[in-house]
Amino acid sequence: MIEFQHASKVYPNGVVGLDDVTLKIEQGEFVGIIGLSGAGKSTLLRTVNRMHDITSGSLTVDGKEVKNMKGKELRKLRRNIGMIFQSFNLVSRTTVLRNVLMANVPDMSFMRVLLGIFNKEDKIKALEALDKVGILDKAYIRADQLSGGQQQRVALARTLAQNPKIILADEPVAALDPVTANQVMSDFRRINKDMNISILINIHHVELALEFCDRIIGIRAGKVVYDGPSKDVTQDVLDTIYAGKNPMELEDK
Amino acid sequence: MGLYDKIFKPKTIVLSNGKEVKEKFTRTPLILLILIIATVVSVQITGFDLSLLVERIHQFFVILGRMFPPNVDYIPNIWGPLLDTIKMSLLGSFIGSVVAIPFAILASSNIISIKPVLWIVRLFLSIVRTIPTLVCALIATYIWGLGTMAGTVAIGVFTFAYVGKQLFELIETVDMGAYEAMEAMGATKSKAFVTTVLPQVLPSYISVCMFCLEGNVRYASILGYVGAGGLGLILNEKISWKQYDSVGMILVILFGTVLIIEWLSHYVRKKLT
Amino acid sequence: MNENIRKKFEQEPKTWYYKVLIALVVVVIIAWSSTTVQVNEVTGDGISIARKIISGIFHPDTGMLFNLTAQGVPYLLLETMCIAFLGTIVGAILSIPLAFLASTNIVPKPIAVVVRVFIMAVRTIPAFVYGLMFIRVTGPGAFAGLLTMSVCSIGMVSKMFIECIEDLDTKILESLDAAGCTLFQKIRYGIIPQLIPDFISTVIYRFDMNLRDATVLGLVGAGGIGAPLINAMSAYRWNEVGAILAGLIILILIIEVISTKIRVKLARG
Repeated sequence: MIEFQHASKVYPNGVVGLDDVTLKIEQGEFVGIIGLSGAGKSTLLRTVNRMHDITSGSLTVDGKEVKNMKGKELRKLRRNIGMIFQSFNLVSRTTVLRNVLMANVPDMSFMRVLLGIFNKEDKIKALEALDKVGILDKAYIRADQLSGGQQQRVALARTLAQNPKIILADEPVAALDPVTANQVMSDFRRINKDMNISILINIHHVELALEFCDRIIGIRAGKVVYDGPSKDVTQDVLDTIYAGKNPMELEDK
Repeated sequence: MGLYDKIFKPKTIVLSNGKEVKEKFTRTPLILLILIIATVVSVQITGFDLSLLVERIHQFFVILGRMFPPNVDYIPNIWGPLLDTIKMSLLGSFIGSVVAIPFAILASSNIISIKPVLWIVRLFLSIVRTIPTLVCALIATYIWGLGTMAGTVAIGVFTFAYVGKQLFELIETVDMGAYEAMEAMGATKSKAFVTTVLPQVLPSYISVCMFCLEGNVRYASILGYVGAGGLGLILNEKISWKQYDSVGMILVILFGTVLIIEWLSHYVRKKLT
Repeated sequence: MNENIRKKFEQEPKTWYYKVLIALVVVVIIAWSSTTVQVNEVTGDGISIARKIISGIFHPDTGMLFNLTAQGVPYLLLETMCIAFLGTIVGAILSIPLAFLASTNIVPKPIAVVVRVFIMAVRTIPAFVYGLMFIRVTGPGAFAGLLTMSVCSIGMVSKMFIECIEDLDTKILESLDAAGCTLFQKIRYGIIPQLIPDFISTVIYRFDMNLRDATVLGLVGAGGIGAPLINAMSAYRWNEVGAILAGLIILILIIEVISTKIRVKLARG
């Protein structure tokens, strides 16, 4: 469970990222976060695993205050939270399997990491994760030889191999074509339903968000302006979130 | 350049549709002027004299002429010093390249966020780079005595400074996405570095080291001049005894060696990319 | 366990012994190389000399550092800069025809190979050998140093020139052809603008290097700051060494900053 209590974030240059956000996300929810570029979607997502700090208020994950975590404790938190990026963030020069094996790195000794020695169970686990996202056959191919959609699946497999309770996805389909985007979104839904992993997803394709997510959070200038089931999102709601502008047109700029 | 633009006003061109385009006055005359002044001063100070050069250039080929034909009988005496030179270059390059790694990491702004550390390490690398290798070798001979140890140290220091600078520039241009992903996953900075940045820079790093090794073999032949061992030692000896045919033989062998090493390193570097 | 996964697991390419082999080769080479180093123990003598050197470098001879006559550091640095400057320019001029003759997109391959071997041979002869040869021509002094520098620059400068010439974008020539340009016009507007920035960048970089290498000339009395530096060192006058090195280091750092700035500007246009 993720709980924001009057959480705010002001960047050092004075820009307000989050403005008094209060939210509660239960385990196993599939939440889409929508809003204009710069509205604070990314900030919201990245405060959960403390890639960004909140400057006031409180944020707890499974009852533990994230703000005060340091070093080991923070890494333990992050260990249980997977993260997916717009640009996949794979190590392009190495094989797909190695990329998925990266999920084990936080628990390994430094020497093994340095020499790149992974044990059999980890490898099997990684292959299983690849199988779950349907690209088992690509295991020994270099990551940069795959298409964008396949690369995003490798990233997803890497996250699954981590056995996370929560997955944060920051614009996971923005760099993909519509058909591939649809497939990746279905992957997310399947994982959400089958494994009861909470998924928070930043997305600027409103149709995709409404189609796949159970719950929508709309953000405007750092404030939550809508929070409810996706089936209740009306044109009026979208107008409030996007300040009356056509979202697709704005995002393309 | 603000002042320059004030003296030589930018030209305004009015297009047929009424739009105005400002073209800055060309900088070429200014640059040319500076170059001409620098050349004139340099000619004065160095005593450059083309007519003297043309008149006496044949003297240049006197020594070169005496090197041919090279003294083939001298070959057996070359192998030992040649191997010393190669070993010195290999070991010095290796040590320098390895020691450069932690310094390069500390000088990379995308890994280390503490500004003072960055600047101190970079300044240190720059200063070490300015120390002439010859001076370094001379100092080393005073400390470790004449011989290959001094040469190895000098080459190591040079390699350290060169590879250090190249490596930190490599690290700074790396794609940090995967590093971010590792941190988000709960890996420590060092583990994230090893798993994501290292594989990206490794091929270019090795390529830089090979390139440096190539140059070092050539440079190592000069080091002997100050007593730092290797090929330069016999080269210096033969030159002072004016046995130019032996000098020619040494140079031919050095040429062959450099050719082979260059070819090898070219091959390795091609494989890496 | 799933049959597919087990199969895939067994398919893992065995790259590890390839890696072990490389590691082994490297270890053997390094071990072999280290046989040459007689680690003579650092004697007490060595340590006291090291101490003197360091104290000398940190207490430079200020009289010499700020002496404006021909024996002072400022004049010596100026002379060194002049040698490096003219040496680089002469070297670059010599490199241009060589580079064109060694580019496979300009001349037939056999000629290119021959010219390349020639360039490599020029590179192999150490600087002090050239220095000796040129001293016969001009007598000892800065002129000999300048000529030595120019010949020593040829190797690297022409190598870089060759690279830019071979990277020339020839599609522009097609479009100029289509616009009806003459050969001269094609060279003037199609080729030269592509080459100039890279050439200048190379020359500036080489100037920077030549300044660093200028001490080598001092070995054979070919002018510049090298000779006083080597003399001071062999006479153990460490304060003088400190003064010269201090001047040299500051000069090189300044030149490096300026040359990097210009080169970045050239690269970005």
